[in-house]
Amino acid sequence: MREKNVMLLHYLSGVGILIFGGIHLFTVFFTRPLGETVWETTLLFEGHQFAILEVYRNMLLASSLWFLLLFTTFHGLNGLRVILIELFPNRAVRSATRYVLLFLGFALMVYGTRTIVIAHMIR
Amino acid sequence: MKTVRFSVYRFDPSSDKKERYATYEVPYKTGMTVLDGLLYIKERLDHTLAIRYSCRMGICGSCGMTVNGLPRLACYTQVKEVGWSLKVEPLRNHPHVRDLVTNFDEFFKKHKSVKPWLVRTDSREQESPTSQYLQSDAELEKYIQFSYCISCGLCYSACPVVSSLPEFPGPQALALLYRYLADSRDQSRSERLKIVDEAVGIWRCHFAGSCSQVCPKGVDPALAIQLLRREMMRG
Repeated sequence: MREKNVMLLHYLSGVGILIFGGIHLFTVFFTRPLGETVWETTLLFEGHQFAILEVYRNMLLASSLWFLLLFTTFHGLNGLRVILIELFPNRAVRSATRYVLLFLGFALMVYGTRTIVIAHMIR
Repeated sequence: MKTVRFSVYRFDPSSDKKERYATYEVPYKTGMTVLDGLLYIKERLDHTLAIRYSCRMGICGSCGMTVNGLPRLACYTQVKEVGWSLKVEPLRNHPHVRDLVTNFDEFFKKHKSVKPWLVRTDSREQESPTSQYLQSDAELEKYIQFSYCISCGLCYSACPVVSSLPEFPGPQALALLYRYLADSRDQSRSERLKIVDEAVGIWRCHFAGSCSQVCPKGVDPALAIQLLRREMMRG
């Protein structure tokens, strides 16, 4: 992929993090799935997992979390790639870094998707 | 008589193991430039000092050096602008040859890589044009400031990205690339854009802006890089 396309995706994923991160924070601090907000129930240390699971059970909110995962994974790993390019100005290291980060991104997406799907399906 | 203290970087790889700073007292004259002072040293005090210069009037771009920490053209810098005690060193980011002389091979390699000439699809017409290629004022305005570049290498020396990432093309080459891209007579837009669309290309600019700060000709390479990025996004 050409660098301009990677950087375009980097900027767009940054905007995506703002939008979906905003939705996530709004959900945690302002929605009341079990009477209290999710944040308030986490402070109780009892039963907080049920309030959090309520967020995952909602299809729209679970999808928004998946998009947040996608955007943060891409944006974070691409940011790391840029830092590594500047830290190690060596073609071989650059090429190896790309594959390691691709694998890491794939692993993070698989594990994160699995977590969201499991939490969504718990009854 | 008022004197100016020059502390000059000295290093000759054929005889010295380590660099040193030699100090010289030079009598001040009204209108004296840093180059005038260095030439006084070379003529009267120490003829072994190596410097590079040519036109003495800020046109050729040969006498770039670091004066009191900033890259400047020695012929363009008045002594009284920078103070009575000067520390003169070679340009950073260019390999040192001897004393204040630096090697520009890598710099000009990058300069050449952006094809700093007009490219036309009709090569026969380009080699033997049948008429003039007229431009409107607006078309000229798009690139005129970037064509004032004299390739002195000061922006390249001031660029923090070049120092950490030697493969980075540098502000001069990128500004020149934009200069030809914005020229209405040029016909190689997509080829030009591809040249610097690499992992270590235009996207690695941090926009520190030091290139524009030190340019003796008022060129703004940082602006050119931003405009070039916009052109890239447009495709």
